Amino acid sequence: MAEKLLEIKNLQTHFKSDRGVVKAVDDVTITVNKGETVGVVGESGCGKSVTSLSVMRLLKDTPGKIVGGTIEFEGKDLAHLSEKEMRLIRGNDIAMIFQEPMTSLNPVYKIGRQIEEAVMLHLKYDKKQAREHAIKMLKLVGIPRAEEIVDEFPYQLSGGMRQRVMIAMAMACNPKLLIADEPTTALDVTIQAQILDLMRNLSKERGTSIMMITHDLGVVAEMCDRVVVMYAGKVVEEADVFTIFENPKHPYTEGLLNSVPKLGQKIKRLESIPGNVPTPGNMPQGCKFAPRCGKVMDICTKQDPELKMIDKDHTCRCWLYQESGVLEV
Amino acid sequence: METPLVEVKNLKKYFPKKKGLLGGNKSYVKAVDDVSFTIRKGETLGLVGESGCGKSTTGRMLMKLLDPTEGQILFEGQDITGLSDNQIRTIRKEFQMVFQDPYASLNPRMKVGEIIEEPLIVHGYPKEKRQERVLHLLEVVGLSAYHADRYPHEFSGGQRQRVGIARALAVNPKLIIADEPVSALDVSIQSQILNLLKDLQEEFELTYLFIAHDLSVVEHISDRVGVMYLGKIVELTDKETLYKEPLHPYTKALLSAVPIPNPRLKRERILLKGDIPSPSNPPSGCTFHTRCPFATEECSKKVPKLKEIAKGHFVSCHLY
Ligand SMILES: Nc1ncnc2c1ncn2[C@@H]1O[C@H](COP(=O)(O)OP(=O)(O)O)[C@@H](O)[C@H]1O
Ligand SMILES: Nc1ncnc2c1ncn2[C@@H]1O[C@H](COP(=O)(O)OP(=O)(O)O)[C@@H](O)[C@H]1O
Ligand code: SF4
Ligand SMILES: [Mg+2]
Ligand SMILES: [Mg+2]
Repeated sequence: MAEKLLEIKNLQTHFKSDRGVVKAVDDVTITVNKGETVGVVGESGCGKSVTSLSVMRLLKDTPGKIVGGTIEFEGKDLAHLSEKEMRLIRGNDIAMIFQEPMTSLNPVYKIGRQIEEAVMLHLKYDKKQAREHAIKMLKLVGIPRAEEIVDEFPYQLSGGMRQRVMIAMAMACNPKLLIADEPTTALDVTIQAQILDLMRNLSKERGTSIMMITHDLGVVAEMCDRVVVMYAGKVVEEADVFTIFENPKHPYTEGLLNSVPKLGQKIKRLESIPGNVPTPGNMPQGCKFAPRCGKVMDICTKQDPELKMIDKDHTCRCWLYQESGVLEV
Repeated sequence: METPLVEVKNLKKYFPKKKGLLGGNKSYVKAVDDVSFTIRKGETLGLVGESGCGKSTTGRMLMKLLDPTEGQILFEGQDITGLSDNQIRTIRKEFQMVFQDPYASLNPRMKVGEIIEEPLIVHGYPKEKRQERVLHLLEVVGLSAYHADRYPHEFSGGQRQRVGIARALAVNPKLIIADEPVSALDVSIQSQILNLLKDLQEEFELTYLFIAHDLSVVEHISDRVGVMYLGKIVELTDKETLYKEPLHPYTKALLSAVPIPNPRLKRERILLKGDIPSPSNPPSGCTFHTRCPFATEECSKKVPKLKEIAKGHFVSCHLY
């Protein structure tokens, strides 16, 4: 039986501005079990990053606020922890890596110092132990000349190397959960292959769970055990990776899979989803996908479907798979 | 054989590097270093490779936005490298470009209708017919008359790319150079634009040079594909052969590195060591030898030539 590590339930994170409320995350439910890699996919603006920032409680400097739902992690509700309590978890039990390594690397600190600070704080290492640990971590992620690089600055490294340093930093305190937000999107494909390989090996060796945020369905197929598909701030489907790719139920998931050209597949035309992703100020009524959906029905444009269990470990938010409720007017 | 639409011969672009504090010898970034290929009428030639390998620089030289350091560009058999601005004017209209970032390439202060009309004015399209042409072009790319009076910022990424394509089509070019035209778009929008490009090619008998770093996209849209590494074409052939029988070790590694959206597929992956070297200081011999799993001594010493080892299949590697 899979053991739950992180359980995000009905999360809502909204941004207030003069022009109204942007419901960036509006009913997101994601479970990550121990040792598992869960993919979160969806097109830009669907709320993937805001979901991860909510889990890390890194919204302080934004107008964003968690306004509903819970984020359970080892018996605690992260959504309601104080900043002080959160600081003991961040970088320790849960670590995060970003698309742009400089988001988490400080340009004016030497690489070693950035890793040392975290392990001195969380693992209570002394200066000497911390430095040894930093060098060990750099070696672990495949940095050549780790003993020298530890005294260099981030700008002296290539993009791929910086990504490795960020992973070394994130893994330094042996987190239970690693949240990776588009970790390879900015990298070239041969470098991406190296980094994905590294992440896979680290998580296997250490039993780290990964929440892998990406828009690349190839990366998902390769890395993930389970997949969560998001659209316009909501989870629309969730299942194991084979079910998502071979038996998707939500019309959006299906459309997304048919949109990507696949290497070696000879087809003249790709299927495509008509129209555009709705903008926050222009959210349609009812199902957010209705204006682009080929299977749209009357009810879809009136009432939002719920995320329902449609099979064992397979959820879907679509009127095709649920009884229409009584229309509340 | 029919004269190819474009023929590129031994094209080079060396950018002078800013001198360091110590001055010293003048050094260059060898962005494009001896590249030759042809583009046949009506085909799509894909150029693929990792960032910095010289794809955009090649495209910009074809567009005459950059002057080559060396080499020739022939358009319908005529050498256009040495032509003056005046002589080039009539030919220039046959080349149009579509860019990666449609937003950066569209003037934010101009209405979309004006943006599409601009090349018509430049190339002397009759005034009384211009409005009609603009509306027609909007329709061709899947927009409508309603969009003519809007500004670029009111459009989504995919719609802006449609505007960019409409503008490129305005003066009936023969060749469209598309530089990463779908790289910035979400997958569902990317497929719309790829389909649009295919439809337009058929309708207007266009020839494409399609530049991208995404192998799956390039394979989908191209008839033939050239693979670039550090300013050189290392392999060039039709897309079926390239995918089924890649010969160059770099092509093999590149193909094996692309994640494929099929969780059952377990492939042997060729993991390349290290980073891409800098084009300002490329390795000796075969520039790929520092990362190549098959490199021999010869590879670090001798520059391999691009050889046609089967009909239409060009490879630059000492193994062949
Ligand atoms: N700091 C912010 N202020 C206002 N709106 C924001 C902010 N950050 C994100 N958003 C909005 O939240 C939505 C989801 O964004 P995000 O989670 O970054 O999407 P994704 O990561 O899936 O591309 C977007 O509509 C975005 O405009
Ligand atoms: N105007 C320029 N001046 C100096 N170097 C340049 C210039 N344009 C491109 N380069 C360099 O030439 C190389 C090839 O660049 P580019 O053609 O843009 O590659 P690609 O499009 O394949 O990513 C890179 O190393 C780039 O930094
Ligand atoms: S609820 Fe209706 S509109 Fe939404 S995805 Fe399902 S069928 Fe399509
Ligand atoms: Mg994001
Ligand atoms: Mg480029």
